Amino acid sequence: MGDDEKGKQAMQTTRRDLLKGVGAMAVGGGLLGMPAVLRAQARTGVPAAPVKIGILAIQSGVGAPVGAAGLRGAEWWTARVNAAGGILGRQVELVVEEESSPKETVERFRKLALQTKVEVISGGISTAVGLALGPVAEELAMLWLSWDATTQKGVEETMPTPQWSFRSVDNEAEAIGGAILTAKHFPEMKTIAGLNNDYSYGRDCWDAFQAALKHFLPDVKPVLDLWPKLGVTDFTAHIAAIQQAKPDLLMTSFWSADTTIFLKQAAAVGLFNTMKGCFTTGGGVHDSLKKSFTPEGLILGYNSMYFHDAQASPLLKAFVRDYRAKYNEYPPYECDHAYFTLEAYKAAVEKAYQAANEWPTQAQVAKALEGMEVESLSGTRSYREDHIMMCNFFQGITTHKNDFDFVTIDPVEVLPTTRITKPPGSKLYDWIRSWT
Amino acid sequence: MKVWIPLGSVLLLVLALPQLGWPYYTILMLSFFAYATALLGLNLLFGYTGLLSFGHALFLGLGAYTTAWLTSVWGIRSMEVMLLTAMVVAVLVAAPIGALCVRYVTIYFGMLTLAFGMLFYSFLLKFYHLTGGDEGMRVLRPVLLGCDLSGMPKLSFLIGPYYYYAVAVLALATGVMWRLVTSPFGLWLKAIRENPVKAAALGVSVRRYRWYAFLISAAYAAVGGALLGPTIGQVDPGLTYWTQSGHLVFMTLLGGFGYFLGPLLGALVFIYLQDALMTMFPYWRLVFGAMLAVLVLLAPEGLLGLLTGRLGRKTVRVAVS
Amino acid sequence: MLTHAINILLSGIFHAAILFLVAAGLQLVFGVQRIFNLACGSFYALGAYTGVSAVNAFIRLGLPHELFLLALIGAGVCLALIGPLIEWLLRFVYERDEALQLLFTFALVLMFEDIIRLIWGPSPLSTGSLYLIYGQVTALGVTVPVYNLIVIAAGLVIALLMGAMLARTRFGRIIRATAENREMSAAMGVNLRAVYVKVFTLGTMLGTLGGALVIPATATMSEMGIELIVEAFAVVVIGGLGSMRGALVGALVVGILRAVAISTYPELEMVLMYLIVIGVLVLRPQGLFGEPAV
Repeated sequence: MGDDEKGKQAMQTTRRDLLKGVGAMAVGGGLLGMPAVLRAQARTGVPAAPVKIGILAIQSGVGAPVGAAGLRGAEWWTARVNAAGGILGRQVELVVEEESSPKETVERFRKLALQTKVEVISGGISTAVGLALGPVAEELAMLWLSWDATTQKGVEETMPTPQWSFRSVDNEAEAIGGAILTAKHFPEMKTIAGLNNDYSYGRDCWDAFQAALKHFLPDVKPVLDLWPKLGVTDFTAHIAAIQQAKPDLLMTSFWSADTTIFLKQAAAVGLFNTMKGCFTTGGGVHDSLKKSFTPEGLILGYNSMYFHDAQASPLLKAFVRDYRAKYNEYPPYECDHAYFTLEAYKAAVEKAYQAANEWPTQAQVAKALEGMEVESLSGTRSYREDHIMMCNFFQGITTHKNDFDFVTIDPVEVLPTTRITKPPGSKLYDWIRSWT
Repeated sequence: MKVWIPLGSVLLLVLALPQLGWPYYTILMLSFFAYATALLGLNLLFGYTGLLSFGHALFLGLGAYTTAWLTSVWGIRSMEVMLLTAMVVAVLVAAPIGALCVRYVTIYFGMLTLAFGMLFYSFLLKFYHLTGGDEGMRVLRPVLLGCDLSGMPKLSFLIGPYYYYAVAVLALATGVMWRLVTSPFGLWLKAIRENPVKAAALGVSVRRYRWYAFLISAAYAAVGGALLGPTIGQVDPGLTYWTQSGHLVFMTLLGGFGYFLGPLLGALVFIYLQDALMTMFPYWRLVFGAMLAVLVLLAPEGLLGLLTGRLGRKTVRVAVS
Repeated sequence: MLTHAINILLSGIFHAAILFLVAAGLQLVFGVQRIFNLACGSFYALGAYTGVSAVNAFIRLGLPHELFLLALIGAGVCLALIGPLIEWLLRFVYERDEALQLLFTFALVLMFEDIIRLIWGPSPLSTGSLYLIYGQVTALGVTVPVYNLIVIAAGLVIALLMGAMLARTRFGRIIRATAENREMSAAMGVNLRAVYVKVFTLGTMLGTLGGALVIPATATMSEMGIELIVEAFAVVVIGGLGSMRGALVGALVVGILRAVAISTYPELEMVLMYLIVIGVLVLRPQGLFGEPAV
C-alpha cells in the first residue's frame, strides 16, 4: 500500500545517501558543508523504518468536526516534517483510528498499542473517552498525548500521578477566562444565566465561571441554568425560558454546531438586544458564526488558537493559508492541540536521543516531554511537570470590522494558562478563592 | 458427533489464544465472551420464544454499571459477588418491565423494549450524581475467586486469569442455557412461539412462560455486561443506546437465531469483522449495514444456516399473537 | 407570563410541525405496509443535507434569496425519488416477519449514516442567515421569526391536504382500504404493488420535506437521523400506529410537552417523553387514535 511504498523509498534513499555520505566523508574528511538531509539520515542507533504514530480522531457524531480539525492539523504537521526529513531521519506514518464511545475507543487504543505497535498515541477529545483512556495508557505503559478531554475528575481522581499520559489544558480554563473578561468589559452585570451542555464539561464550566466571576463581582446572582443535551438542534424553548428570566448576561460553553444554531435562533427573536453574552468556547465553530446573526459586543473564546491573531507567526499564517486552500474553511483550535502534541513528541525524541545516542524508548521520551516547550501554531506551548499542557488562550469581543462574512474578535485578550489554570497540586476552587 | 470436531478445535484455540502472543486479539475475545453470554439470553427470547427485543442493551448496561458501582462506590471487588448482584438486579428490573412487555408481541414488544432501553439511557445520562452522567463510572480490577492479583500488571491480568475466568463463565452459561432449551421449559417456549393459542389450550400460561424467558434473558445480558465492565474499565451510558440493542440483534441474526450456537458465532464474526473494518475503512457502518441488509434478504437463517446448507428457507418463526 | 406561555407554545408547535411530517411518513407506511421504517430518520437527515446543498446552489446561481424556500421544497420533493428504490428493496422482505423487516430498516439506518458522511463530510452545514430573511413578527410582547410561522403553516397545510386526500380522493380510499384489509383490497382488484410504491414514496417525501424545512432554523449534524427516530417513535406511539390524526396529535403532545419541560423541569425533559410512551403503550397500546392492536 501507499505508505509502505513511501517507507521503502525512504529506506532506499537512506541507503543511497548513506553511501554518498560515507564517500563524501572519506573524500572531504569532515561533516562540514553536508546538506541537512544527509546529516539527518546517517544517524547511529536510529532504525530506518518509518516511525508509526497513532491518531485517535472523532469521525462521527456531534464532535466530528472537531475530530476532523485535529486530524487535519496532524496531517499538515506530518507532511511538513516528512518533507524536512522526518524525525531523526525517520519518516512519520500516521495510523488513524476512530474515537467514538469509551468502550470502542479503549479497544482502538489497545489495538494501536499492542497490535499496530505505534510509538505514541495522539488524540482524545471527549471527556468520557479521556477518563477511560488514562488508566489504559498507564496500564499498557503507552505514551499518550491527549488533545482535549481534561476535567477536574480526570486530573484529580483517576490519574493523580500519570507517567505515560499527557493531558491537555484544564477544561475550565475557558470559563475562567470568560469570567475575567466579563468582569473587565461588563462590570455592571447583576444577574447571569447559564446555557450549557448537560455533561461534565458544561457543568464544570458553569461552576468555574460562577466561582471566578464571584471573585470580581461578588453580588452577581445566577437566575437560570439550562442543560440541553449535546446535539440538540432546537433551542426555541430554551430561548423562551431565557427571555422569561431576563438575565443581564448569558453564559454558554457551547463549542460545536449548537453555538451557530443557538445564535441564529436567538437573532431571530433579538435575544441579545436585551442582554450580553459570553461564549467561552464558541470559537470552535468560529467561521460559521456569520455576521448576519452574530451581533457585535459578545465575549467569544477561541480556546488556544486564534487564526486571525495580529501577532500570528509565519507558521500560523502558512497553516491558515494552506487550510483555507484545501478545505475552504478557517482552522479552529483543535488543529493546534494536535499539532502541538506531535511537535512536542518530535522535540522530546530529539532531546532524548541526544542523551541516549539511539532511538529513545517511550520511557525516555516521556521523561523528555516533561517541561518540553515548542513553537506551536498559536505560539509557544509546553508540558508542565505534572503532564498538563500550558499555552495561551485567546478571547475577545466580537466585531464585524473584518473582510469575512463571519465575526472575529477585537480587542483580543491573550490569557496564559498560568493565569487561568490552577497550579500543580492545587484544587481548582481553593485556588480561585485564593486569588487577590 | 460431527459438530464436536469443529467445536472442539475452536475450544482448543480459544484456550490457547493467550499463549500465542497476540495480546490485542486476546483482549478482543473478552468482549466476545461478554457479548456471547448476553446473546445466549437474547436468543432465548428471540429464537426460542419469538420475541424481538430492541432494548436488550438495557440489561447489558445494568450489568456493567453494577460492576462499576460495586467496585468504585462500595469498594466490593469480588467478581463472584458482582456477577450474582448483576443477575439479581437484572431480574428485579426485568420483572416489572417484562410483565408489561410480554402482554404484547412483535412490533409492540419491540417498541416497548426500545422505550424502556432509552428510558434507562436517559436516566443514566441525566442523574449524573448517581451515575456519572455521560462520563460514566470507573470499574476497578476485580478479585477472582478470592485471589487478589492486584500486583499483576493489568494487561497480564486481562489476558491471563481474567480471560480464563471469562471462558469459564461463558462455558457455564452455555451449559445452563443448553439444559434450559432442551428441557420441557424450552420445548414449551418453542410451542408457544409456534402456536400460542394451541399452547394456551393445552394449559400453559403463555404470558408467564414468556415472562420467565424475559427474566432469564435479562440475567444473562447482565452477566455479559458484568464481564464487560472490568475489560473496558469505564462504563458509560452509550452502552445502552438503542443502536447498541440493534447491534445485539444484528449479531444474533448474523450467526443464525434458529441455532443454539448461532448467536455465539454471530458475536465472534461481528466483533472481529468490526475491528478489521474500523482500521481499514472509516465508513465501516456502510459495510455493516449492507451486510445486515443482505443477510435479511438472502440468508435470514444466518451463517450457521448457510454453513449447514439450509439457505433460502423463507419462513421465519416469530411469535404472531 | 402570557408572553412566556405563548413563546413556549410557539416553540412547541414549531417542533411539532417537523415531527408531524416525519411521523406522518412513518404512519402512512406502517398503516398500509405494516413496516415500521426505522430509516425515516435517515430520510429526514437526507432531506436536511440535500436542502442545504440545494439552497447553496440556488444562491450561487444568483437567484433571489427570498425564494430559497422553493429550493428547499424542491429538494424535499425530489428526494422522494429514492422512495421507489428503497421500496423495491423492501419488497423482498414483505412476506417475511416483522422482525426481519425492522432489522432491514435498521440496516438502512446504518448505511445512510455513512453515505451521508461520505457525501457531505462531518462538519455541520447550514443555510447561514437565510432563516432571518423573512423577518420577524411581534405581537402581544412575543417575537417570532416569520420562517417559523411559515413552517407551522406548511405543516398545517400538509396535514389538511393529507386528511383531504385520505378522506376524499380515490387514492385515499384505496390507502384506507388496504390499511384495513390487505387481502380484501387485493381481491377487489387493487394493484397492491402500485399502491405500495406510491405510499412509500409519499412517506419518504414527507420525511425528506421535514428535514429540508427545518434546516434553515438549525444546522445539519452527524447522527441527526438516529436522534430523531426516537422522537418520531414516541409520536406514533402516542398518536397511535397507522393513524394520520394520531401523527398530528402525537406530534403536538411531544412538541409542546418538550417545550414545557425545558422551561419548568429541564431534568425531566428526556425521561418524561419515554415515561409517556411507556404509559401510553401500557394503558392504551393502540395510542390515542390507532385501531385496537394485539
